[in-house]
Amino acid sequence: MKILYSWLKDFIDLDYTPEEMVAHFTKLGIEVASVEKKGADFEGVNVAQIVQIEDHPNSDHLHLVTLDLGGGKTQRVVCGAPNVAVGQKVPLARVGARLGKITLTPAKIRGVVSEGMICSSDELGLTNTRAHGILVLDEKLELGTDVRSLYGKADALFDLEITSNRPDLLSHLGVARELGVLLNKPVKFPAPKEIKGEGASLKIDVQDSQACRRYSGRLIRGVKNAPSTQLVQERLSAMGLNPKNALIDVTNYVMFELGQPMHAFDRNLIEGDTVVVRRAQKEEKFTLLDERELTLDENALLIGDAHKATALAGIMGGKNSGITDSTTDIFLESAYFDAPTINKTSKKYGVSSDSSQRFERGADIGMTLLALHRATELLAESCGGTPSEIADVYPQVFENPVVSFTPAQINSILGTEIADEKLKDIFNRLALKFDASGENWTFQAPTHRRDLNHRWDLAEEAARFAGFDQIPTGASHTYVSFADNPKGVDLMELVSERLCGLGFYECKNIDFLGEKELKAFGFDPKNAVKIKNAMAQGWDYLRPTLLPALLKNAEFNARHGQADVALFETTRTFSLTKGFPTETYTVAGVLCGQVPAGAFFAANGQKADFYLIKGMVQELLEGVKGVQLLPSEKAPVYMHPKLCMDVLISGKKAGVLGALHPLTTKAAGLKAVEVWAFEISLKPLEKLFSMHDFTPVKPAAALPPSLRDLSVVLDKATPYGQIKQVLEQTALAVALHFDLIDVYEGEHLPQGKKSVTFTLAFSAPDRTLKDKEIDEAFNTLVGALKEKLGAELR
Amino acid sequence: MTIQEFQTVCSQLEQEYTAKIAAAADLNAVEELRVAALGRKGALTELLKNLKDFSIEDKKTAGPLGNALKAALTAALEDKTAALSAAALNEELNRVHLDLTLPGRPLARGKRHPLSIAQKRMTDILSSLGFTWAEGPWVEDERHNFDMLNIPLHHPARDAQDTFFAQTGSPLSMVLRTHTSNVQSRFMEKHQPPLRIMAPGRVFRNDSLDATHSPVFHQIEGLYVDENVSMADLKRDLSAFMKGLLGDKTEIRFRPSFFPFTEPSAEVDVKCVFCGGKGCNVCKGSGWIEMLGSGIVHPNVLKNCGINPEKYSGYAFGMGVERLAMMLVNINDIRTFYENDLRILKQF
Repeated sequence: MKILYSWLKDFIDLDYTPEEMVAHFTKLGIEVASVEKKGADFEGVNVAQIVQIEDHPNSDHLHLVTLDLGGGKTQRVVCGAPNVAVGQKVPLARVGARLGKITLTPAKIRGVVSEGMICSSDELGLTNTRAHGILVLDEKLELGTDVRSLYGKADALFDLEITSNRPDLLSHLGVARELGVLLNKPVKFPAPKEIKGEGASLKIDVQDSQACRRYSGRLIRGVKNAPSTQLVQERLSAMGLNPKNALIDVTNYVMFELGQPMHAFDRNLIEGDTVVVRRAQKEEKFTLLDERELTLDENALLIGDAHKATALAGIMGGKNSGITDSTTDIFLESAYFDAPTINKTSKKYGVSSDSSQRFERGADIGMTLLALHRATELLAESCGGTPSEIADVYPQVFENPVVSFTPAQINSILGTEIADEKLKDIFNRLALKFDASGENWTFQAPTHRRDLNHRWDLAEEAARFAGFDQIPTGASHTYVSFADNPKGVDLMELVSERLCGLGFYECKNIDFLGEKELKAFGFDPKNAVKIKNAMAQGWDYLRPTLLPALLKNAEFNARHGQADVALFETTRTFSLTKGFPTETYTVAGVLCGQVPAGAFFAANGQKADFYLIKGMVQELLEGVKGVQLLPSEKAPVYMHPKLCMDVLISGKKAGVLGALHPLTTKAAGLKAVEVWAFEISLKPLEKLFSMHDFTPVKPAAALPPSLRDLSVVLDKATPYGQIKQVLEQTALAVALHFDLIDVYEGEHLPQGKKSVTFTLAFSAPDRTLKDKEIDEAFNTLVGALKEKLGAELR
Repeated sequence: MTIQEFQTVCSQLEQEYTAKIAAAADLNAVEELRVAALGRKGALTELLKNLKDFSIEDKKTAGPLGNALKAALTAALEDKTAALSAAALNEELNRVHLDLTLPGRPLARGKRHPLSIAQKRMTDILSSLGFTWAEGPWVEDERHNFDMLNIPLHHPARDAQDTFFAQTGSPLSMVLRTHTSNVQSRFMEKHQPPLRIMAPGRVFRNDSLDATHSPVFHQIEGLYVDENVSMADLKRDLSAFMKGLLGDKTEIRFRPSFFPFTEPSAEVDVKCVFCGGKGCNVCKGSGWIEMLGSGIVHPNVLKNCGINPEKYSGYAFGMGVERLAMMLVNINDIRTFYENDLRILKQF
């Protein structure tokens, strides 16, 4: 809402600089988006011409400047501006002149008395540039001219951000009223002459009194449309409106002044003598003033005559009944429409106006008549005409609820100790009716404050007008709680820390993707959460997988010179389960190129491969019970068919790891042929994980184990997994730990064979093993490997 | 041999070998001297063989004398050996030439995303202030996201939050939550006071992606409901929160504001951490930076959640994670957070 300072002053005496006004607004909770200063806020500054410049006896940068004031008078002043020159015409402020709030007095500058000053543009309050140098004026100006006449009257335009609960501040009167309470100053309401009028108005037929709670109007006959007065034109321009003609301008002027939206119809385009307020018929067509054509439904509220609709109530007039230059008789509407009705219609048809913005937030039902009188008065000035009587349909007079409370309750909400007298003073200024005679006080707000319905609302008013700085920093005891974090949160933190330790950088991505990506990653769009009002194509669904975005991140980084990447993200993924949205904490990562990146040691680095990503996933899930990694029987479409493993947790598939399908990486625009990835749902881990799960520590063995190397030769096709299984499952009399140290294929081995070498560590908790025991265990293992896998000792 | 002769030879041997050991140039020379003096046929060994022929009286004099000399020579030889070994090792070490100025080997270590770092900092502080972490769905029904929070249908406050609507099989109208405040309605619906929770997380607004807007961003919410909770309690806890976040000297101020779910509502500013309140570019000359929105939980919200507003009261606050991170590390384009450029991520 734009507020013109001079207009505001019509209603309240204000003697503050624009900066001080901003502080007042801030205190009230009204944010000021911008302040535009206008015109001249000074007096007694005249045009003078520099005739002589001498050096100041006690300064090397100050000058003694002699000026011709016109009429044969001269004046010498001290001036330090770098840009003074003989012949310039400049603004001279002499002793007694006023610059903003400062009145000039003689000043002694380095021993020389100066009885005036040559002003800069900043000093005159015209700019705020902090530039040095005096303002040099047009050389054609006559000496002695009042400089103020060159700039017009001082004014300021405040752009206020009015919150949606305070529609009463969407007018100059409303803002004045608010300042009146804050500053304890009287508000001068406009008091137009209340003309009774001649002849009947049009009849009003309100068919929906819920949607239209009040309808006031009158005819004005015999007007002559003309341009508005200069004041009206200037003020509307300041509001950002182009003045059109007095008949239209006045309705807008009254709206900005009093907050009451009005509409003027050309009487002669209204058929019959009744104004009807009704709901639209199904598929009723209506053409707005701006020529947009709407097809309405029964929820839309219309103003109409005997045959047709003439306005979309509270939002915009129709093309068929608008004011023209040749209009002679008008019907002025000043009504109150129900906020949700206007909001719904405005939103549905995408039609918004200054009027609808006020109605949908809530106008003042008590303002319609004052607005009508004010408009009548203003029109009489510009267009003449004869007003009719006023028609006012207001079946149920609105009253705000009476709030009953105690001052202690107000202070309890705020944590303050505001004195009763102070509270009474504030509520008296705000209320329509306020009674503090009993233990319980009662407060009833005026019609323009529909937001004061509970004692909490009044507590806010008390704090605002007493000052929010009255609220102390509480010192009382507070309840604290140290319940566990949600499991998913702790799990995300855990996997993030582990992945960072493994060299992965965390990413955050927008949660949307398109149908093409969904399909490419093997998801049926029917099972994904679709956004009905997606903002862009390709952002139509909530993502069920984190991999597409991570691939984009890899591609972005490759394009910016970082082809070696290890990236991860952990957040929620989305799907539909029987139609209902399901949210699952998920972690995914991509890896490609050299690990870690680093040019000098690249030769010594590690090129990412299958076993690296597998090792990383193993580390990621280290310590989690029931994790299994099994080669995928059927890899998902976006994964390499042979380089893909299922991640099983407690026997259920929770994710995959391996190489991405080359077509997947190609589609993502990645040049790297091999991109490794994993994606795992954290959901099954939630049950396995607790911050309070303190597993007892196993004591470290006091005695070192006995080590033996074991090398066996077996069929190349035998997977390591099976060998491992045999070693793990063969029963031994001693404890065994084994490490794989080599897998060898090639020379010195028969065709189709490989050699696998382990270091075996045998131990017992309480003693050093005897050679015999070790031999026995070793031979048992060799026997089992031979029996189950045909392995021969090498 | 007489005892006198024994004493003379001892003295001669001591002088001779002490000098020779001191002059030995290398370990070989030391070994030769050891053999010559203390070896099986060494000079001292030979001399000591005479002891057996001495009288008991003389043995008492000669024995200790001979043993002392043996010990002294042994020690001198060991010292010399140690000194020569150390010198040899030192010489070897000094032959090492490695370019120490080459870079260290790169090791794999990743980093958290700046938004995670910022959020963790906030949750750590709130956790230490006794707030428990609570969560709610991101795909939310309109009742929990709006109605229960006193944001009625067909009210401009509801329009102001450009909402994404989700298409699901649910009979309820589902939206992507527009704020973390849905956790308030979710939590209070299930728990009676006292309750003290924080709700960090992702929220969605149908805003196009530009330097200052993102359809996805992060908020953190705090809620405390108990008997007699007032604005002063809010000020105490927010003051502590902001001090934890920005330093112990941080000052805050309350400004009146409007949020549908709080009454009274306050915008909270902190004294500008960059200029100390003098006015600078970051605070746009005002000396204060807007940090978060807050207020006393609206009685309608408590009522809607089944909490008696006559018995209990509460406060709530919420702030943007991106905004804070952008301010603290001088990022002026919110898209920076969602590009995941390693050149940026590595700086945290």
